[in-house]
Amino acid sequence: MNTLEGLVTQIQGLSSTASDVSSLQNFLKKADDSLHAESTRLLAFLDQLDPSKHSLGYLYFLEACTAGPVTKEQASSFVLIISRFISSCVAEQIRLAPDKFTSVCKRFKDQVLLLEEPLRGVAPLLTAIRKLQSSTEHLTTLHPAFLLLCLLAKCYKTGLSILEEDILEVDQPRELFLYCYYGGMICIGQKRFQKALELLHNVVTAPMSTDNAIAVEAYKKYILVSLIHHGQFSTSLPKYASTVAQRNLKNLCQPYVELANSYSDGKIADLETFVQANKEKFENDSNLGLVKQVVSSMYKHNIQRLTQTYLTLSLQDIANIVQLTSLKEAEMHVLQMIQDGEIYAMINQKDGMVRFLEDHEQYKTCEMIDCIDSSIQRLMTLSKKLTVMDELMSCDPLYLAKAGRERHRYDFEDLDNVPQRFNI
Amino acid sequence: MTSSSSSGLTFKLHPLVIVNISDHYTRVKSQMNPPPTSTSTSGTVNNNNSNGVELHQQFPRVYGCVIGVQRGRTVEIFNSFELLYDPSSHSLDRSFLEKKQELYKKVFPHFYILGWYSTGSDAEESDMHIHKALMDINESPLYVLLNPAINHAQKDLPVTIYESDGIPQLIFVRSSYTIETVEAERISVDHVAHLKPSDGGSAATQLAAHLTGIHSAIKMLNSRIRVLHHYLVGMQKGDIPCENSLLRQVSSLLRRLPAIESEKFQDDFLMEYNDTVLITYLAMFTNCSSTMNELVDKFNTAYDRHSRRGGRTAFI
Repeated sequence: MNTLEGLVTQIQGLSSTASDVSSLQNFLKKADDSLHAESTRLLAFLDQLDPSKHSLGYLYFLEACTAGPVTKEQASSFVLIISRFISSCVAEQIRLAPDKFTSVCKRFKDQVLLLEEPLRGVAPLLTAIRKLQSSTEHLTTLHPAFLLLCLLAKCYKTGLSILEEDILEVDQPRELFLYCYYGGMICIGQKRFQKALELLHNVVTAPMSTDNAIAVEAYKKYILVSLIHHGQFSTSLPKYASTVAQRNLKNLCQPYVELANSYSDGKIADLETFVQANKEKFENDSNLGLVKQVVSSMYKHNIQRLTQTYLTLSLQDIANIVQLTSLKEAEMHVLQMIQDGEIYAMINQKDGMVRFLEDHEQYKTCEMIDCIDSSIQRLMTLSKKLTVMDELMSCDPLYLAKAGRERHRYDFEDLDNVPQRFNI
Repeated sequence: MTSSSSSGLTFKLHPLVIVNISDHYTRVKSQMNPPPTSTSTSGTVNNNNSNGVELHQQFPRVYGCVIGVQRGRTVEIFNSFELLYDPSSHSLDRSFLEKKQELYKKVFPHFYILGWYSTGSDAEESDMHIHKALMDINESPLYVLLNPAINHAQKDLPVTIYESDGIPQLIFVRSSYTIETVEAERISVDHVAHLKPSDGGSAATQLAAHLTGIHSAIKMLNSRIRVLHHYLVGMQKGDIPCENSLLRQVSSLLRRLPAIESEKFQDDFLMEYNDTVLITYLAMFTNCSSTMNELVDKFNTAYDRHSRRGGRTAFI
């Protein structure tokens, strides 16, 4: 009892300046075990602390409170407390104890899921990410949790706002898998297939030492999105993918690979029979919606192929070639594609002819200049960052050791000067 | 010594003369042996004598004749040629001058010797001697003076024209002049003025020099127009009294820019602009890719599990 009250007064006293806070942190670290021991009674003391001023102390107390198993009734009260804490805490103080903060937020996510109200967790976790990040290019452990909540709550746009930022710094490489996987799923939900492909590609080609369930699921979605967006899929992974991935991923996703094969044949009827046959497998992976999109994308790609052969074509011919059932359907498809900007064509309704046109973008408008200008600016910042990384790499002891070792003994210039090993 | 009264003559100076004089001066200066020492020696406080001598070495004086046409009250100076100065007699080489005059008369029968030129910062007493010597060829010769000291703050040309005035004591009187030119002359002078150094022959440096020139010209145009704008705003607010003649001049000037304003021009201009921007983009891409390539190479060397056999071959 005494120790707890003493702690509370300490926290209240030592939370004003930065030096006070660091001494408070040492104090709290030592008292951590006692806090965990008395976790049941901590809730009462929380009212005496103000989260906006005593963030660090509040955090420690909160972490100890939520350490044990939590029931559904407790969960709702905790959710309220934690979301209030997240919105009012001070960023500098919580950055002193990032792992405690992330564990509190993760438990928050679990409680929100327990209550089956993922929407309540989206905004607080977004604030939490912003407060924990040292810069917008920093990937924290909270990112995947946030994206999961976005997915479950179906608010994809908020998730997209986080995904737009480029990631250049990573806390824990393992977080990247989940982050990219969930990110890919959000992009698929928003129909941004190109970005989804990039994110899923990252998961599939990331360095792995053993088989990774996330990578397997990502590979399945990767095949499907690649079929929808590009109309083709190459089964060989790029060289920089890990050997584990190159050997095993294909075998673990057999039905999908076969789907890709039958897609490339171009016959819709075969594709549909295949899908029907393997329906339960796709359903188990909850990919059936995507698979249906794959089937409908086949029509689109077939029509696009037609633009390369014909200048004008009648709607009836289109329907026959693409194996659509009626004229009306062909017209609907072509109209939809024109609206989405996937082809350039004109439909003459009098005689039912479709004329395929060239892309009339002349690239000489001011908007195009702005577009290119912004790309150049982005490239310049990227180039600067790359130069910095290059310099960092040149000073890396591992690199210097290997580079030094490779020098052949008989170079005239460096016979005496260069040591064979850099002893660091 | 100089006052601003004029004898009623208007002077017109061709840029060829200015280029000639500066070329003469530059040649003489660069042929001086040894080359003049750095400004540190001339910056120290010496007695007048040695200072004058060093200045003389730093800024050698060159002399020559200017020729042209005088029609009524207008004196137009077209060309110039060099003369040797005899320091012992403080006069210009007379026989050489007459020979040159004959030769020029054959090619340009209308040109007369109008006066002489020299370099320096101000007209001096000793120059009067030369001036008087020329007075038998032309009863009122001109003295064109070019100041070779480069002054970045000064915006006007460092050229002054003096004429002699006053009887019996002749003094130099500064006169105003205008620059007059024909199209052919403008093109050739421009070409000469923008000669690039021969060793900077790579396309990149030439392009950079050309673009810098255009950039500074546009910057100057921009700043001058801004001045006009400021002035007009002041006039609108009422701080400055309204002057209709100035307003007319401003309006006629502004009607001359932009030079072309039509849709076809916009189209072509935007297309070329886009092409240039795209090429810059491509260059940035190449730059970035090469940095990335180096980084990846280093990364592979450092962290690649498979050890690399071989390495560099012996340098023999």
